[in-house]
Amino acid sequence: MHRRQKSRYENIIFAVLLLVGFFLITCRFSLPVKLIKNLVYYISYPTLGTSAYIFRSVGSFAANVKAMVHTHQENITYKQKNQKLADKLRNYDAMSEKYESLSGFLKLAKIKNTKSVFAGISFRSPDEWYQWCIIDKGETDGLYNGLPVAVLNRKSDALCVAGRIVETYKTSSKVALITNSISVIPVEIKDKGINCLAEGFNASLLRITYIPLGVGVESGDEIVISGLSAVFQKGMPVGVIKNVSKKISSDFKTATAEAFYETGALYEAVILVPQAETE
Amino acid sequence: MKKLISYLLFYVVFCLIQFFLGRYVNVYGIFPNFILILIVYLGLSKGIMNAQLTGFLFGLTWDVFSTDIFGIRAVMFAVIGYFAGRFCGSFDREKTLTQFVIVFFASIVYWAGFSLIYFVVSGGENYAFSLTILSVLVKIIITVLFAPLVFYILDRIVG
Repeated sequence: MHRRQKSRYENIIFAVLLLVGFFLITCRFSLPVKLIKNLVYYISYPTLGTSAYIFRSVGSFAANVKAMVHTHQENITYKQKNQKLADKLRNYDAMSEKYESLSGFLKLAKIKNTKSVFAGISFRSPDEWYQWCIIDKGETDGLYNGLPVAVLNRKSDALCVAGRIVETYKTSSKVALITNSISVIPVEIKDKGINCLAEGFNASLLRITYIPLGVGVESGDEIVISGLSAVFQKGMPVGVIKNVSKKISSDFKTATAEAFYETGALYEAVILVPQAETE
Repeated sequence: MKKLISYLLFYVVFCLIQFFLGRYVNVYGIFPNFILILIVYLGLSKGIMNAQLTGFLFGLTWDVFSTDIFGIRAVMFAVIGYFAGRFCGSFDREKTLTQFVIVFFASIVYWAGFSLIYFVVSGGENYAFSLTILSVLVKIIITVLFAPLVFYILDRIVG
């Protein structure tokens, strides 16, 4: 019953639409119909400015679609990276468990776990460019004096030594860079096992001192943190030898090295905070 | 409210595609009749009422923008909407063959009705407006070929 009524209703509407349509066809030359047609035409037809706007919008729409596609591709890449990292983390968890049990057995000193705190460089004085910088993280973020500060080297995609925190405030900290004259860090020449010191002298370079006389150190040799450092993790990259001095003083020679972190473009830093051991 | 906005959006998008895009992107004046495909789709999926009213509205809008006889498309699209709606639920609209056949017959009805009204109203004087058999046939084929794509997109959005 309801269906029949609905069908009847639809038929009536159809008939009305046909009547209106044929009325418009027959009266198309009459003034009111012409007026309505022209009015609708002029209201809805885009003007020159509107057309230009539409075309501009289409351009930005295309750019947005392109950006979306790009983002989608990036997402796929990050998903793959994420998967790889998840696999690595799983392996790490298994290795960590094994390490815990073995170090307990052998009574070895355990490696300290660290937490990374990312900070932005908020200030760097031009007249003390190679000495200090201020970061925008402080006590509220769990930072304290003596913590190592690292910077991501964009070429090698690795964290390299930049300095250490010397003053901590509530929301900021002062970092003494490794090129500061107060900075002395124990380093070694990579793959050669030669222990020496990297000293800052308020310039863009580092002075590598206490290099034993008999060993062959050349320009291009990489310097990493040695196992003697109590602040930085062993093996962290520091810089690369640029020049070995010919002048010999007592039993040692010196060299100059370029720091791995980009001294001219220091914008972000990573503070490595040791984690308390959890039982 | 949501339904009303989506219908309005459809109306604007299809008007832009058919009237403005068709004006600049065509091959010798041949461009698929997306509105006809939409009306057939609405008829098959939503029934007579939606299809005939939408058809009438689209036809009227197209008539405003064209120099042909005012009201001719409104009548023809309402007729197509009505007949397509009659087949609502009778066919599996997801089948490509069904889409081809129904859009083909709808196009035939559209062009036949269009020619007939034109012939009757103009008294056969200006009948040679642009209706050569070949161009109409190509337009029908192009519209039929685009039908599965439009059906697929509409199924994803509306269905």
